[in-house]
Amino acid sequence: MSDFQELVKSFPKTREYVRDFFVYGFKTRDEFKEKSPRTYDNERRRLESWLGEHVRKDHVSNGSNISLAIDSNLLDTNPLFRVWKTKSFTDNDIVLHFLILDLLQDGAELTVEEITGGLLEKYEALFDVQTVRRKCNAYEKEGLLNKKKSGKTVVFSIDNSLAVWIRSNEGMLDALTFYQMAGNFGIVGNYLSEQFNHHNRTFRVKHSFCVHTLEEEILFDLLDAMNRKTDVHLEIKSSKNGVLNTADCTPLQIFTSTRSGRRFLCGYIKKSSSANSSRVSGRFTCYRLDSIKTVTPLDQSEEYEELLARLDRNRSYLWGVSFQGNTRRHLDRLAMTIQALEPSEQYIVERLKREGRGGTVTRTEPNVYRYEIEVFDCGEMLPWIRTFIGRILSLECTDKSVEQRFYRDLQTMYRMYLIEEMSP
Amino acid sequence: MELFSEIYSCYYQVLRHLLCSQDTLTIQDIRRLICGEGFEESLLSIIPKLEDGTWNLFERDGNLYRSRLSSSFTTPVSDLEKSYLKALLSDPRIGLFLEQKQLEALDKMLASVAPLWRPEQFYYFDRFADSDPYEDENYRNCFRTLLQAQKQNRYVDIDYTSPNGNRVHHHYIPARLEYSVKNDKFRILALKPASSAKNLHGRRQEQPDTMSDKDTGSTVNSGTRHMKLEILNVSRIQSVKLMQKTLSTPVDLNAMIQRSYYKEPLRLRIVNKRNALERAMLHFANYEKNTTKIDEDTYECLIYYNQNMETELLIEVMSFGPMLTVLENERFLNNLKARLQKQMRIVPPAEECP
Repeated sequence: MSDFQELVKSFPKTREYVRDFFVYGFKTRDEFKEKSPRTYDNERRRLESWLGEHVRKDHVSNGSNISLAIDSNLLDTNPLFRVWKTKSFTDNDIVLHFLILDLLQDGAELTVEEITGGLLEKYEALFDVQTVRRKCNAYEKEGLLNKKKSGKTVVFSIDNSLAVWIRSNEGMLDALTFYQMAGNFGIVGNYLSEQFNHHNRTFRVKHSFCVHTLEEEILFDLLDAMNRKTDVHLEIKSSKNGVLNTADCTPLQIFTSTRSGRRFLCGYIKKSSSANSSRVSGRFTCYRLDSIKTVTPLDQSEEYEELLARLDRNRSYLWGVSFQGNTRRHLDRLAMTIQALEPSEQYIVERLKREGRGGTVTRTEPNVYRYEIEVFDCGEMLPWIRTFIGRILSLECTDKSVEQRFYRDLQTMYRMYLIEEMSP
Repeated sequence: MELFSEIYSCYYQVLRHLLCSQDTLTIQDIRRLICGEGFEESLLSIIPKLEDGTWNLFERDGNLYRSRLSSSFTTPVSDLEKSYLKALLSDPRIGLFLEQKQLEALDKMLASVAPLWRPEQFYYFDRFADSDPYEDENYRNCFRTLLQAQKQNRYVDIDYTSPNGNRVHHHYIPARLEYSVKNDKFRILALKPASSAKNLHGRRQEQPDTMSDKDTGSTVNSGTRHMKLEILNVSRIQSVKLMQKTLSTPVDLNAMIQRSYYKEPLRLRIVNKRNALERAMLHFANYEKNTTKIDEDTYECLIYYNQNMETELLIEVMSFGPMLTVLENERFLNNLKARLQKQMRIVPPAEECP
């Protein structure tokens, strides 16, 4: 274990380990078949080091079982943010970081040579000019330093006005502590909160799914491609069987489930035109962000705006992320009639309206309501429909397999829980 | 712009805190701070670098360490962070935190910055349709008063409309502001002195909300008074008045929540068909849970919850249909069976479609 390093060079490898421990939380050393036992030991040790207080160890018959025990009801921050703060660096990196930024704190505009001299004079730190130049240029790219050229001279400086403004605005600091828990790229909100030593003691987030922070790097690349309207080449690993696949698509929008935290890329796949047909047709499809391993930008899409407009028109017929059901029909229709006693069960009618994603709700007779909707894939609706078990009077769908599956599953549940018909 | 960069790393943060300290530090002080803020093994990496001067950031005076940095050291805001802030300006909730003038000032400072994302690039396909009215002036005022009260541990006088339309009037201490991603709503987790409740008409006190807003049933002794934890929808608050009175004894909210969990967790059996295991593990990832493998395809999962989460959890379990089997606890099992029995009663299997 002498070569054990607490910090890591790249994020993707670690991402998979953390996800496995967090999502499943029951894999023992033997069950991690994809990696060597030594890799497993190192990754596990890192995880324990980063996330110590959330790591739970259980002894099971085939070894020790470690998992991440995270109760989102009790969290002031996302514990998995710590995984983002593990990037390794060199001794020069950390020393130059603090000394260069300190040297330029007063707003002075200095050349690389002057900075190099200043480091020696003020801090007794000897660096060669090339090393200092590389760091200054890197920091200019990150936006930490401003670079200005006048004639043949290049000078670097710091503008701390935004930092000073944030520090003096309590409302902004409160906003950051909120958004780090509840918004996109919460990790960046967390970086800022930490930078201003402002810790969350005010907000909690219900339905917070910590694990999805691990996808932010993929999201970052996808948004970059979307902003530049380029196609992308994706490497995808199936969550079902682990098989690696690739796909080229035009990235259009990020679909997010607030119930599971899952995020999807909605993209458009072009169908390659055949020799005897000049018409190019394709399809919209969704990829889970946590299954995408890499994103490579391709050429600019010539029909980006047109595809976005088409997606806009199609979106009202989406229940979830599927653009195609089991039938050959373009759209299927589902109608569910439920019992809701008036007035005591009005909240059920409210649920239909609130959660029904644009479906119509009609009172057909006292205590009876009919919900109707037309969507691409009614199969996606089954989990939601099941939540009304106990009051479903009828379910009709133009995709008969959806009806059949609902009633078959219901029968199975009756058997599982020994529910029997009782005489009236 | 890089998301995974050493400039945001834990070690840099720890060092910044050490270097911004105005005091001369002993190695024990340094160790203490690293233990508090670093990773578990960070001490082993950082201390030798400081002791042997590889990280020449302190002046050494015997065993004492004095920062070489100026006391006003500030890390500039990076492009990534600016781009994030610019994106926040388009979020409807930002108006809860910043006044118009502040929004304009921030917008001006970020004039040349492109946002990290735009709202239209995201689509929340299963979000509930009745989001809170973030633009409403009364809502904003209530929110800001609650925020101030929470930060200052002060009591507030709340006039609230319960779901059945009754106006209730109570004194509370806002313990936390809770945001629900699914509902796109804020609630307050509020402590209420057990004896102070009365409604506007002096009648029997009423619970603030139904279903998800039920009383957790948890109480805590704060000083001489018992406190109860209640959940109130901010959008149902008609008015809120900040009081001078403060809570003298801090309340351990997490202990209160944990005490409210049922002793018997929900025990589920998951047979890994149709990718049920991964779906269930992700779906229930926001609960404290513990999963064990029983055999090749069967897993058991314990989920810890309280009365407040019960209906929502039951609905979530039902949405999985026969892919999950509830084994325990009896209370949960009975609730599930009651729904199935009711379903069988209103549509006997013989009358079901195909």
